[in-house]
Amino acid sequence: MQRRGEVLTLILAGGVGQRLYPLTKTRAKPAVPFGGVYRIIDFTISNCINSGMMRIYVLTQHKSITLDRHLNEMRSIFRPEFGEFLETVPPQQFIVSRWYAGTADAIFQNIHLLEEERPKHVLILSGDHVYKMDYRVMLEWHVSKGADLTIACVDVERKEASRYGVMEVDNDWKVIGFSEKPRNPKPMPNNPDRCLVSMGVYAFRTETLVKAVIRDAKRQTEHDFGKNIIPELVETADVYAFPIRECLPKSMHYWRDIGTVDSYYEAQMELLEPSPQFDLFDNSWRIWTRIGQQPPTMIRGSKCSIQNSLVSPGTFIVDATVAHSIISYGVRIEEGSDISESILMPNVTVGEGCVLRRTIVDEGVCIPPNTMIGVDDEADAKRFFITKQGIRVIPVGTIFFEPPR
Amino acid sequence: MKVAGEKILIIEDDDNQRLLYREELEELGYRVIEAANAEEGLRLVEEEKPDLVILDIWMPDMNGLETLTRIYDMNPNLPVIINTAYSAYQDRFTSWLAEAYVVKSADLSELINAVQRSLESRSKEKKD
Repeated sequence: MQRRGEVLTLILAGGVGQRLYPLTKTRAKPAVPFGGVYRIIDFTISNCINSGMMRIYVLTQHKSITLDRHLNEMRSIFRPEFGEFLETVPPQQFIVSRWYAGTADAIFQNIHLLEEERPKHVLILSGDHVYKMDYRVMLEWHVSKGADLTIACVDVERKEASRYGVMEVDNDWKVIGFSEKPRNPKPMPNNPDRCLVSMGVYAFRTETLVKAVIRDAKRQTEHDFGKNIIPELVETADVYAFPIRECLPKSMHYWRDIGTVDSYYEAQMELLEPSPQFDLFDNSWRIWTRIGQQPPTMIRGSKCSIQNSLVSPGTFIVDATVAHSIISYGVRIEEGSDISESILMPNVTVGEGCVLRRTIVDEGVCIPPNTMIGVDDEADAKRFFITKQGIRVIPVGTIFFEPPR
Repeated sequence: MKVAGEKILIIEDDDNQRLLYREELEELGYRVIEAANAEEGLRLVEEEKPDLVILDIWMPDMNGLETLTRIYDMNPNLPVIINTAYSAYQDRFTSWLAEAYVVKSADLSELINAVQRSLESRSKEKKD
C-alpha cells in the first residue's frame, strides 16, 4: 500500500535535552553525534526515507543551529520536484506569542501546516530515538484497525517501565489504559515481569489530532502527548497499540530512547557487540546521513592496534591503540595514545601519549599530550563531568590550560 | 436557562446585523458591546473583558479566523462563536478553535442556542 501523499510526518525535535547535559550544552538532542558518522535524528529520518515518508516537518526550538545545519545537508536526499521535503519549523507565533509549551502545543501552533497539506493521517515521531521501523506497516495496521490513534509499543522489563508511558491493551490490541511514567506500572497480562510501553511513535487520523490539540490548548495542562492527549483519547476515541515484536521482523525489534548520557553511551557500545541487535551494516535498511566530503582513513605506523571499533572516514591514527571505541570523522590520534571503551566525536584531536578509558570527548575538543582520563577517579572528579555509571564527558569547548605531566 | 447579565461582544462590520443581535440579546438579559471591525474588537476584548464573542469572518481589516487566533492568544478561555454567511470556513482547522460555528440566518435561534450553550458549559467548567 503506497501512502505517500496521504501521510504527513512531523518530527518533534524541540526539547531542552536536560538529561543529556553536557552533550546538549550547545545543541539540541537530535543533533548529538552518534555511532561515528550519524546524528541521533538520522535514525528517525532514515526510517522515514526507507518507508517512503518523504514529506517531513521537523519542529525545532532550543539550540537548533547545529540541527538546522545537519538537516540542510540531509535535505539533498529529498526531491522537491517530486513533492518531497524536509523542512525545519521553529516556533513562528502564527497563533500565539510564545515558544512551544509542550509536544502537543508544538502541533497546535502548526495546524496551519496540516491545513495546507490536508493529509489523511499524521505520523508524529521523536527526533531522539534509535530504532528501525517500517512506518508503512504501522500505517496499514492503523488503517485496518480503523484507529483514531495508533501508538507503537514495545515490551520492557517492569523495573524500567516507570520511565515511559505504560499501556494496557485488550485482545485486539485496543488500548484500554495509559499512564505516563507511573510509579507502579501495570505488567502485561501474560507476563508479570514485563510492561508494554509507548515508543513515542504515533499515527493519528488528522481530524482526531487537530481536535485533540485544540481542546488541549484551551486548558491549563502541560500540553504533552503522554500526559494529556493520549490519556484523554484512550477514554474518548479508538486508540490502538502497534506491537513491534508481533508486527515487524526481528531486525526491527531494537528500540532505545536516548534519555541520559549513560543510555547514550550504552546504546553506542551495543553497536560494537559481535552481532549487534542494531546492525548498521544491514543493507536492507540503510541509515542515511551526510557528513560532508572526507578523505579516507589513514592508519600509520607499525605499532597501530585497532580492535572492535567503528572508525569513520577522515580519521588519522598514528601508532596508537584503539579498542572498543567509536571514532568519528575528522579525528586525529597521535603516537602512543591508548583509547578504549570511548567515544570520540567529530574533529577531536588526541595528543601523543594520552590514555582515555570510558570517556566521551565532544566535537572539536583537543586533548593535550600525555593526558590521562578515566584512570584515576579522584583526580578526574575534580576536573571532569562524570556520570552515574562513571563515564567521563569532555564537553564542547573544553580547554586544557595545564596539561598534567 | 438563567441569564446573569453576561457581557457579549459582537464583532461584525454590518451595522444592521449588529443592531439586530443587540436587540435580541439585550431582550434576553445579556449586556452587549459592539465592534465594527477586528481591530476595535480586539481592543474591546482586552479592555472590556467580555464573557463571550460573536465573530464575523468577512471584515475589511482582518479576516475573522486570524482575529480568532488573536483572541485565543489574549485569552484562551474566552468562548468565541463564529457567525458568517459562508459555511465553507467550517472545514478550516483554525475555525475549530471557536466554541461554535453558526451560519448566518434570518432565524436567530441557532445563534442564541450556541450562546447559551457556550456560557453554560463555561460556567459549569468554572464550578468544576
